[in-house]
Amino acid sequence: MTEQLAATAKRWLYTTNHKDIGVLYIVTSLFFLVAAGLLAMTMRTQLSVPDNTVLTPEIFNQFVTVHGLLMIFWVLSPFAFGFANYIIPLQIGARDLAFPRLNAMSYWFYLFSGVMIIMSFFFGAAPDLGWTLYSPQTSFEFAPTIGLNLGAGGLILIVVSITMSSVNFLVTMFKMRAPGLKLSRMSLFPWSILVTIFMMLYAFPSFLAAVLLLYVDRAFGTFYFTSIQGGSLLWDNVFWFFGHPEVYIVLFPALGIVADVIPTFARRPLYGTKYVIGALVAAAVISFIVWGHHMFLTGYGILTDKLYTVTTVAVSLPFDVIVIALIETLAMAKLRLKAAALFTLGAVALFVIGGITGVYLASVALDYALRGTYFVVAHFHYIMVGGSIMGLIGGLYYWFPKITGRMYNESIARIHFVFSFVGFNVLYFPMFLLLDMPRRIATYSPDTGWGLLNTTATVGGFIFGGAQLLLFYNLYRSLRSGPPSGPNPWNGWTLEWALPSPPPAHDFDTIPTFSDDGTIHFKGTAGLPNGSSPGNGIGEPNGSSVGNGYVALHAEGLSPWPILMALSSFIFFLGLTIGKPDNPQPVSYQPFWPLIADGVILGIISLFGYSRERFTVHEDSHVESWPFRQVPNMKLGIWTFLGAEVIFFGVLMGAYFFVRTAAPTWPIPGTVFEIRNGFAMTLVLLTSSLTAIMALASARAGNRNGVIVSLAGTLALGAAFLYIKAGEWFTLGGSDVFKNYPLPATSYFITTGTHGVHVFAGMCMAVYLLANAVKGKYVNGDHVTLEHFGLYWHFVDIVWVFLFPLFYLI
Amino acid sequence: MAIANMQVQFEDLFWLFTYLAVLVGVIVFGLMAYFIVKYREKPTSREPDDAPILGRLPVPRGHARTVILTVSLSTIILGVLIIGSFGSIDTILSTPPPCNIAVAQGANSPVIYNCSVLVTGHRFYWDFNYAGYPNRTITGAPFCHDANCLFAVPQGHDIRLNVTSADVFHNFGIIAIKVKADAYPGHINNIWFNAETLGNYTIQCYELCGSGHATMTATLAVMPTTQFVSWFNSTIVH
Amino acid sequence: MNTNYLYLIIFAVLIGETDIEVNLSSIISSTTYVTVLLGIAATKAILIAMYYQHLRYEPRSLSVWVILGIVIASLLMSLSFVQLSFHSFHYASP
Repeated sequence: MTEQLAATAKRWLYTTNHKDIGVLYIVTSLFFLVAAGLLAMTMRTQLSVPDNTVLTPEIFNQFVTVHGLLMIFWVLSPFAFGFANYIIPLQIGARDLAFPRLNAMSYWFYLFSGVMIIMSFFFGAAPDLGWTLYSPQTSFEFAPTIGLNLGAGGLILIVVSITMSSVNFLVTMFKMRAPGLKLSRMSLFPWSILVTIFMMLYAFPSFLAAVLLLYVDRAFGTFYFTSIQGGSLLWDNVFWFFGHPEVYIVLFPALGIVADVIPTFARRPLYGTKYVIGALVAAAVISFIVWGHHMFLTGYGILTDKLYTVTTVAVSLPFDVIVIALIETLAMAKLRLKAAALFTLGAVALFVIGGITGVYLASVALDYALRGTYFVVAHFHYIMVGGSIMGLIGGLYYWFPKITGRMYNESIARIHFVFSFVGFNVLYFPMFLLLDMPRRIATYSPDTGWGLLNTTATVGGFIFGGAQLLLFYNLYRSLRSGPPSGPNPWNGWTLEWALPSPPPAHDFDTIPTFSDDGTIHFKGTAGLPNGSSPGNGIGEPNGSSVGNGYVALHAEGLSPWPILMALSSFIFFLGLTIGKPDNPQPVSYQPFWPLIADGVILGIISLFGYSRERFTVHEDSHVESWPFRQVPNMKLGIWTFLGAEVIFFGVLMGAYFFVRTAAPTWPIPGTVFEIRNGFAMTLVLLTSSLTAIMALASARAGNRNGVIVSLAGTLALGAAFLYIKAGEWFTLGGSDVFKNYPLPATSYFITTGTHGVHVFAGMCMAVYLLANAVKGKYVNGDHVTLEHFGLYWHFVDIVWVFLFPLFYLI
Repeated sequence: MAIANMQVQFEDLFWLFTYLAVLVGVIVFGLMAYFIVKYREKPTSREPDDAPILGRLPVPRGHARTVILTVSLSTIILGVLIIGSFGSIDTILSTPPPCNIAVAQGANSPVIYNCSVLVTGHRFYWDFNYAGYPNRTITGAPFCHDANCLFAVPQGHDIRLNVTSADVFHNFGIIAIKVKADAYPGHINNIWFNAETLGNYTIQCYELCGSGHATMTATLAVMPTTQFVSWFNSTIVH
Repeated sequence: MNTNYLYLIIFAVLIGETDIEVNLSSIISSTTYVTVLLGIAATKAILIAMYYQHLRYEPRSLSVWVILGIVIASLLMSLSFVQLSFHSFHYASP
């Protein structure tokens, strides 16, 4: 018994299989859904009648904040990416994701980051200033609880998780598609995921920068968001630059599911597929230039007001196209109203209401009255719950048979839909009518007249929340004793339906091929491909095959390093964020060094183990890979990561521009920061780029000594750079620079500090490479690691090339 | 009922949006409901010729003209809404000239009040400084509803509010007048309104600022000008 | 050895440009200075990217990939800059 338990534990903790990871994401996100949902139900109880005392304002504020954070970061996207992990490789005919261990790491980072958020409740207070964390109420001065620090730590961890996923999915979807599966032939769910990960790649680094700066402000007393010279506005900009694409990030996968499910049940192709794809892309692009509509009332001038009104109104046009296409799909259809169809059609209807009310909020004039009211709350819940959650639940009913091999109970599912749909509208529609009621208030007085609508909403909340019990009951019961579903219960055309339910651990025996005449060829009969017996999905009742079949097929698929890496990062950030404020004069937080040290040690061990582990990923050669045919997966992955870094440093530099422009005065160049130091550091770093490229050139030429000398040179120059910088920091740190020049000091230390951390990371890599070079590696055609290192190192150099003039010369 | 110019303007624009929203909603939901009912599966339904099946890419379907029509109609509707919005925002952001209300009798000439008020948000109350009179501030208190935190303005005059904050990011909103401004440190936002109807109107904070967020209320009192003058003199001018 | 000479030449250009950056302030006015500095930094970055990161010899798609990120980053900077230029900061004392 214990042996089997140990085998199961080992499988789930060490898995790198995309299907397992998909299941982990889905199940975990459902846990967080329940947690955040319970927070919401409690809030609704509190708000059901005026002057209620179920929750104190302090607790209420924590609940409303954590509810928002959990739902947006720990439920909506992970739920969608659970499906993406499971289904996308099947739909595009890939064997797994491009980097399976990285995929596992993404999941564990996600899990541990959520634990951190929940933990904050037990460490004084959870974050309590809204998921939007406006400044300066989030500063140490106004919110000295550790809860916000833990919140920042959790958010940083999940951004790392998401960035790893973005890189992974982008490389996978561009480089691992089945032969003949051009991008234009992909169905809508993969397309929606592709568009989503682009948005994720470019939006999340901005959020990372924002949260990092917030943490530094709180922990080290810097002034980015607390300065009256535009601190609030800087947060507003940096947050919402991320925040607006984020709300599309949590919506698009559900739209993709809806656009694939409806045609399946309507028994007709999606209307205007290429237009829908074009609309998704257009909306994603426009989403990056509308963020100002969250700042309509900040007073940035009438021209900017009008600009953002126009862009925000414009972004509704692609969604019009998508909705019309979805409705037109039903024309001349043969619509089977199974649960998945009900939920996806319901999602469309609710999304339409949400979208229309979004146009109200796009008008800067109306926003002057609607800002910060329940009208806004209703609008985004119609989109995020009505559109996204209902769509994702539709996906759950759609793919449950594939993932588990069993069919759910259709009658219970239909009742679930009816109660959900009715409850949803009773819950949220009254909020449109509460367009005078401020958001996030813990209570209200009776003479406002808001009582009746609030009571109605609470009743709706209980109906809606209670209805979800039917979902869990249905799925749980069906998992244990539902009838076998067969490979294709819905008669779908996408590739996952060609596999047994559940699919075997290795997915396809042979990758399907797509012909130009529109046929898809599977090995064997054109219909049902694999002759192999069902593998080991979670529904597998036969315990023994878990132990044998899975491990035997994927012996190299288990790795302990992803979870250990995630754990070490979790411990490290816990150490950074759990420390108490200074005593007796609290101006910042003390890091908790034991945990930080533990995290670093475990991290180094894990990193070492990860890099030395023999983990083979099979790269099929005859696959679609436009437009990166000649670019190897790893290189594409690194360039993708560097793209995210560009945004990250771009935002840091943008913050610097912002505070500098807003500040009335700034020290003359050379007076605070020694130009000589900057010049020296620039020369040193440029030389280190030369030595780095020389190392690669030597490796290509087979020159072992050349590699060693060049790498040692790079390392030495990197050390010299950091040495000069340390000297500078030491001198400045001892001076009054923060007192006399708070903003120049703040921007200087943070920006060059972050860059310095990147240099240090590069040096750690160089040490590892040097050790290998001494052993004789890299000179026998295996120099690709040096090339990858170079890409990173030169990028770090490029960042400095900009930082030097910006901080020392102007 | 017309309470103030900003409220009337808001309601007019809101109803414009709502008429068009209902129109669009009726068309979209109507079409959707019609299709769902008409084309739902019945025992007599035939499987469509282009039904997606495993082993084939779906047959492309759809006309560009549907997309063009949708986008064109939407653009027209949205254009109307943009024009309406632009008209309104021009009014909201055009600060009117000061008024001239003679209040107390000064040493050589009457003291003139110019209808400008500096509103400052604090955790967790609002204070109102009647501009030009440095010592003339009404300081509110949490959940204050009584005469002590009455922020009075004269009826029928253009009242200019300069809104800021002494500590964190708040938002000042007068519910019935439908006017709001972000209140954050280091910046003053200018809004204005002209109140027609006498009465007391609730003010709330519309940006989460801490535990007292729900209690940051105050009351706007719109008074006849003569009553305002005597209120001003007794409360503000000592 | 050809490529190695190229690397050395690029290196020399980079160092030379840095030298110019440092000594330029005395010659031109401050507003032009910022633009010129950023221009020089940009050319350095492009040289490093094209030759040290090998982008010149990689498929064009990779360069497009990189430029996409730069465009999005500049969106934030330019639009917030627009915001700021119309903004006025009043240092209101509480």
